[in-house]
Amino acid sequence: MKSESIHSIEISSLSKTYKGRKGKAVEALSELSLTIQNGEICGFLGPNGAGKSTTIKILMGLITATSGTATLCGLPVTDPGARKRVGYLPENPSLFDYLTAREYLALCGRAFAMDGESILRESQRVLELLDLREAADRPVRGYSKGMVQRLGLARTLLHDPDVFILDEPMSGLDPVGRALVKDILKDLKSRGKTVFFSTHITADVEVVCDRVAVIVGGRLRSVDVVDELLESGIEGYDIQVKNCAPALYAGLTSSPKASDITEIYVPRDRFNEFLAHLGKNGGDIHLIEPKRKDLEAFFLDILGKG
Amino acid sequence: MRLFLALTSVTLRGILRDRMLRAILGTVLLLILLVPVFSMFSMRQVQELAITITLSAISFFLLVMSLLLGSSSVWRDIERRYTSSILTLPVSRRAYILGKFSGIAIFIVCCGLFLFLVSVPVIMFAASSYPSDVPVHWLNIALAIGADILKYLLVAALALLFSTISTSFFLPFFATIAVYLAGSASQEVFEYVSGQFGTELQPASVAVIKGVYYILPNFSAFNLKVPAIYGLSHSPGGLALTTLYGVIYVVILLVLAIKIFSRRQLP
Ligand SMILES: Nc1ncnc2c1ncn2[C@@H]1O[C@H](COP(=O)(O)OP(=O)(O)OP(=O)(O)O)[C@@H](O)[C@H]1O
Ligand SMILES: [Mg+2]
Repeated sequence: MKSESIHSIEISSLSKTYKGRKGKAVEALSELSLTIQNGEICGFLGPNGAGKSTTIKILMGLITATSGTATLCGLPVTDPGARKRVGYLPENPSLFDYLTAREYLALCGRAFAMDGESILRESQRVLELLDLREAADRPVRGYSKGMVQRLGLARTLLHDPDVFILDEPMSGLDPVGRALVKDILKDLKSRGKTVFFSTHITADVEVVCDRVAVIVGGRLRSVDVVDELLESGIEGYDIQVKNCAPALYAGLTSSPKASDITEIYVPRDRFNEFLAHLGKNGGDIHLIEPKRKDLEAFFLDILGKG
Repeated sequence: MRLFLALTSVTLRGILRDRMLRAILGTVLLLILLVPVFSMFSMRQVQELAITITLSAISFFLLVMSLLLGSSSVWRDIERRYTSSILTLPVSRRAYILGKFSGIAIFIVCCGLFLFLVSVPVIMFAASSYPSDVPVHWLNIALAIGADILKYLLVAALALLFSTISTSFFLPFFATIAVYLAGSASQEVFEYVSGQFGTELQPASVAVIKGVYYILPNFSAFNLKVPAIYGLSHSPGGLALTTLYGVIYVVILLVLAIKIFSRRQLP
């Protein structure tokens, strides 16, 4: 059904200006362009108020862009049909509090044109997956914040869509829940699904994302492949050596680890040279550990440059 | 169609699970059951009084319901961000408004029917204790309640339209009351300025008043209480026209509500 040339999400020069009170306008997004390929997991990273939720709300048709266009699975976001193959999790979801989880999922299932039998079966599956089975027949009114978040996630998985758009999926979850969400995201990736999710937490991006888009002040700052970013961030190596002559690491920071093991920090540009010396003069390598800037440092760098 | 039914049922469930609305329904039910007692105060026209009180109680209840439900509909879903959990499904804004209205409408119609069924034994009881010269015209009573239902569907649609613009309860509630009062009186005002009094006014103001008359819903057209109480006959043509008028007006209000809601920015 889906041809290769159609991207899951295509955003082109999207701008959004909120009309504030007393004529004060807030420019929340300006000229944002971003394409999410089929089957990739893309993190959407940015500080508070950067415009992440604004972008996502435009994608889901809740608000209209001031200018620019966006498509989901090739259909313009203004068309309700564009949302058929999409699972969406709002930021701090607010679900009908007088319905039970099962009733809410049934409503969603009907909207996704699922038949009665698969609604029952799939509801049960996602409720179990998100550990909500016991609360499933209670009204949402009595749910805790994390349970509502879980139900919101359950809804996105209900109809097994191709594209997931999640606004801060980890927010409000306990460590078990966070781990669960990471597992779910990895599973989605292995099944070729497309995921676009916003977050503040760089560590989550590191673990699950293929690419990361950074947005600051309504402008897209960078889009990078996470692995390349991490590789480019290697600054040096901690090397533990055995039986090595101290002359070899004169001028480098070193610290003894055990009676015959010494740990030496070698900057990235001197790594090859050091290995060559070691090879010539004798000495065994016990352990090599790359020292890299993590994504957090990149993120802070980008923010700092602004 | 299944989606529309699902949306309707969500609205209905919201109404039925609301404690305050159930309390109001209970109060009205109690009031109607007490009608025979009230009717005793009239020594001669017990049956007429029983019919009057019953019809008025039903009418007032439906007014309160349509006002409350219509005025607290769309803006409240927006404020509670229910809209963000439903309109991000493949659900159009039109389907949402229509589902909302049909839920409210079904509730109003069912309440009207239910209260009619309750009022039958009550009126029978009151009438049997002091029989009147005129037999009870059940058909007319049913028609009066039917016309009331249609009238309050119009009120609900009006309140729903205002609630698509609003961010709070006050605008839709008071604007609907204002239009309701004006629309209930407009017929008399219209007849007044069309007659002798009109010739004393400036032609421009007469034109404005007549213009407002044609724009405002004419609620007095739906008042069929008098024929119900005294057993007078109706003209089928008039009834059909009133029904058509009500239906067309509701459709226009809903189209406007959909147009406005489609452009609204949601949180
Ligand atoms: N309805 C609104 N009216 C006016 N301004 C708004 C509105 N919604 C958002 N904004 C502004 O738009 C900007 C972007 O907001 P947005 O919610 O998209 O940020 P975000 O990246 O999701 O932030 P967070 O990480 O805190 O969720 C902010 O400056 C915010 O003040
Ligand atoms: Mg946000």
